Amino acid sequence: MTSPTASPSAPPVLNIDHLSIAFGGLRAVTDFSLKLPRNRLHGLIGPNGAGKTTVFNLLTGVYRPTTGTIDLERRSLLGMRPSERARAGLARTFQNIRLFPELSVLDNVRIACHLRTRHTLAGTLWRSALSRGEESAILERSRELLDVLGLLHRERDVAKNLPYGDQRRLEIARALATNPRILLLDEPAAGMNPQEKLGLRTMIRGIRDRFDLTILLIEHDMGVVMGLCERITVLDHGVTITEGTPEEVQKNPKVIEAYLGEPVATGGAHA
Amino acid sequence: MAEQDRHDGLHARGLALRPSFGSALLRSAWPLLACIAFAVLLQLGIRPYLEVFHAKMLLDIGTSIILAVSLTMVNGFTGQFSIGHAAFMAVGAYVSAAIVYYGSFRLFGNADLHGGLLSGMIDHAEGTPILRWADLLFVASLLTGGILAAACGYVVGLPSLRLRGDYLAIVTLGFGEIVRVLIQSQTEEVLWDPEKIAATPMYLWPKYTGGALGFSGLPFYSSLFWAALFAALTMLVAIRLKYSSTGRAFLAIREDEIAAEAMGVPTTKYKVRAFVIAAFFAGIAGGIFAHTTGVQLNPGELGFMKSFDILIMVVLGGLGSISGAALAAAILTILPEMLRTPHTVWPWGLVAGAVLAIALAPFAQKRWKPALTIALVLGGWELMRWFAGATVVNLGVVRFEKAVIDLSSYRMVIYALALILIMIVRPEGLLGVREIWELRPVRSRKAVRR
Repeated sequence: MTSPTASPSAPPVLNIDHLSIAFGGLRAVTDFSLKLPRNRLHGLIGPNGAGKTTVFNLLTGVYRPTTGTIDLERRSLLGMRPSERARAGLARTFQNIRLFPELSVLDNVRIACHLRTRHTLAGTLWRSALSRGEESAILERSRELLDVLGLLHRERDVAKNLPYGDQRRLEIARALATNPRILLLDEPAAGMNPQEKLGLRTMIRGIRDRFDLTILLIEHDMGVVMGLCERITVLDHGVTITEGTPEEVQKNPKVIEAYLGEPVATGGAHA
Repeated sequence: MAEQDRHDGLHARGLALRPSFGSALLRSAWPLLACIAFAVLLQLGIRPYLEVFHAKMLLDIGTSIILAVSLTMVNGFTGQFSIGHAAFMAVGAYVSAAIVYYGSFRLFGNADLHGGLLSGMIDHAEGTPILRWADLLFVASLLTGGILAAACGYVVGLPSLRLRGDYLAIVTLGFGEIVRVLIQSQTEEVLWDPEKIAATPMYLWPKYTGGALGFSGLPFYSSLFWAALFAALTMLVAIRLKYSSTGRAFLAIREDEIAAEAMGVPTTKYKVRAFVIAAFFAGIAGGIFAHTTGVQLNPGELGFMKSFDILIMVVLGGLGSISGAALAAAILTILPEMLRTPHTVWPWGLVAGAVLAIALAPFAQKRWKPALTIALVLGGWELMRWFAGATVVNLGVVRFEKAVIDLSSYRMVIYALALILIMIVRPEGLLGVREIWELRPVRSRKAVRR
């Protein structure tokens, strides 16, 4: 499977329109709009406190927006619990890894398959034919995902015993197991060494193509963002400064100003 | 590949991988049949050869296993801290007792035991059938008690399971006390006049449950069969839950609630589910408890002390371990009874301890550790027995008399000390989160990995 760039007329997978949230008097995010066409790899950057994580929390249902709409394939996500959003096709990873620490690598992924099953609780307790079949399908799919992310040889290990990089990849495998349309990655490169970061870029592109995904990522590491994303949105103080290709964004004086003259490194360099 | 047809991909693949109806039926049904066969064997094959005291202890173990394993589903699987389990037991006990007691009067004119060979702990008359209609009344009462307890679990769980940790503990504790006080504050005595009972409509039966005086005169239907059957069923349900997609979702809630929700597990709904299933089995255990020989059903016995007893079994066994909870339930039911008459049971304690030490040694990281622990326990045990035993000690040349301590009066102190000791030696519980059948000898486990 390749990643055909969707024609401009195709409806966006994710459509965020004039999203705002205020905590008391503090306007954390103001008028955030974003349209993500299918298979887009989009980056969300900004200095500390710019509101990136707030946008993420709005998307995943931790916060309720004051105004604005979020539509995933024309279905509004507003008012849905996080689990319902996952069912609608929105998956995420966490900035500070949140695996199921005491469970095995395989079980971590299998849990995320659960939402796509249809057998009932009674079916589970009786071990109905459907529950057995879906159980086999879960196992098959989980192994396939672990294989894609290179974790199959560790499937029996307890998740908390994995090295850091493997834990990050396991989180991505788990998110993929929910069979999402859009994947939100919250600082996937955090804590990785330069070599791992290179691998991460190839891997994210690989899973995007293989699983036909649309990906939105928050990242501090400019090397990763610039080398990976097709378009980038820059936030500062909750306001969208600019949106464009990595080259456009790097040249934009407002962005340079927002980062207070901090040099924006080009692809390949580490932060 | 499955990833093309997005949302139905897994379900469609599941349909394709579905085993044939016949093989699924066979594999689903045989554990149930095994449970029934085991329970029948215990009642008909083994009970007649047991002393009454030992048979009664086995029955108590069965009830404890139902309670501990059902609480494991809440505290161990979903990680919610519920400490009001005895309340569900009380609901089941009183509902079941009222149905059996007043139902017996309506049907047979008295509240004697009318069951077949599978009910009761007595030797039945020659020619008694295995099951009688009265047994059906008993089972129906157990199930009704379980269902009403489950309904209470739903009503309590739905609002309170949005709370976490300490807050949930307080709510469940409060609920437990409410149930106890409600039963205790009934003022009507238990009816015993058949004519009066016949005149009392069914919906008024719960009124005449004796209040603080207790519900006396119940027929003793509980037997090794019923206790073993429901204990085995509870364990079967728990095991099938644990090793299933739904059960893994329960475990995910325990591990990380936010991540579980983000991965599509509706956490509140699943917590309520676990709570309701656990309450159902607690209600059944209550029904069995109410009809046990020698028990005079009293609300005071079903207060928070009972809840803590159950909780201790779960924690001691290892939060999340079904076999651990069952093992702890057995140990903690036997221990206080063993301490009651320490000098009569010691050789078996010694034998059991030695067998346990040999069996456990290959599973430990440091092999000498469990052996040493058990040797220490046995040494302490022997010392205790020695203190409590003969008044005259003859050490060859020296011969002296020593004070006799009546151990049975200190048994609850020893029981508590034993608990403290176990929690110091193994804070994660006897089995941790693992199951007995998941234990592997240390050496071969290393060999598998490398």
